[in-house]
Amino acid sequence: MIEYLSNPLFWVGLGQIIVVNIILSGDNAVVIALAARSLPPNQQKQAIIWGSVAAIVMRVILTIVAVEMLKLPYLKLVGALLLFWIAVQLLVPEEDADDGVKSSGNLWAAIRTILIADLVMSLDNVIGVAAAAKGDNILLMLGLAISIPLIIFGSTLILKLMDRYPLIITGGAALLGWVAGEMLITDPALVDWIAAHMPWIHIHLPLVGDLSWAQILGAALVILAGKVMHARAARTQAVDLAAGDEQNK
Amino acid sequence: MLKVLIPVDGSANSLRAVEYLIAQTPLFKEPLDVHLLNVQHAFPGTVRGVRAEAEKFHHDEGIKALAAARQLLDAAGVNYTYHINVGDAAESICQFIKAQNLDQVIMGRRGMGAVASMLMGSVTDKVLHLVDVPIVLVK
Repeated sequence: MIEYLSNPLFWVGLGQIIVVNIILSGDNAVVIALAARSLPPNQQKQAIIWGSVAAIVMRVILTIVAVEMLKLPYLKLVGALLLFWIAVQLLVPEEDADDGVKSSGNLWAAIRTILIADLVMSLDNVIGVAAAAKGDNILLMLGLAISIPLIIFGSTLILKLMDRYPLIITGGAALLGWVAGEMLITDPALVDWIAAHMPWIHIHLPLVGDLSWAQILGAALVILAGKVMHARAARTQAVDLAAGDEQNK
Repeated sequence: MLKVLIPVDGSANSLRAVEYLIAQTPLFKEPLDVHLLNVQHAFPGTVRGVRAEAEKFHHDEGIKALAAARQLLDAAGVNYTYHINVGDAAESICQFIKAQNLDQVIMGRRGMGAVASMLMGSVTDKVLHLVDVPIVLVK
């Protein structure tokens, strides 16, 4: 145990998992809180409690599945690409396109919204945490444990962070690109081929330790793709949310 | 009529810009066309499926941020319209100025931490850089 705790790699991994969790559990908490807002006050608490319970149950199941799945060839590759896509999504402002989900102020509609979001976002979160844990089951379980309070209390935390330190989202996205790059080159189907043909992909730095070009490239590509998508979004005319208010008519 | 924009984030600095405008109004012959603009941070793109609720949330947060500035203007009897956008603050402000053909901007320096403004530059710096209309910077 002492050996485990004195290993700096463990702490680096844990730090990465905490950042991944703040962002990818925080956004889940935001969706739950937003979906519950349209409900009458007596139903809001119910929707938040059940939404959080469902998110936690889905994460536990998906984590157990992920541990087994990621040992299979090609699945890390798929996971890495998915994670890369998630990271870019983080940097694109919320979509303008109609997503087909209407707010109706109805408990079941809100719960349906929450459950769909829980499933998608738990998948995001588990892939992110699994990539940062690098097959270490203790880190994976810690990641799961950390995500639970974040789902329950995380919505205010991430809203505050976004407001005060918007760079944390950019940093988190870059970190996801970084771990995705590493996940990609450790896929069982690729590992031997890379060792034989691309040994230069691994870098050893005296103080920092082992890195790889895949990580650096992953993080850089996420930032670049985010910038491009952001610039495209900025060209569309902004919507004035106060246009319909009484005073402005 | 002179069209004036005051970007408002609810900070003490943005309120000083409002107070400055109120103090200046007697100097103008015609009444000013005053616009208040609050820009809310967009959620990350992974927050999906709750667009209508997100818009309501941004609207409510915008109203909160604008409240103090509106109170000052109401108390001084200055007419104004207010606007709430979502996105990057500096980009939204510049886009708004062009779209609405504004003549002047009055803004405070944004109350960001030293580290954040060093890393990103302040919103004010970016607006100063991007906008063609005269800007009054209230310190």
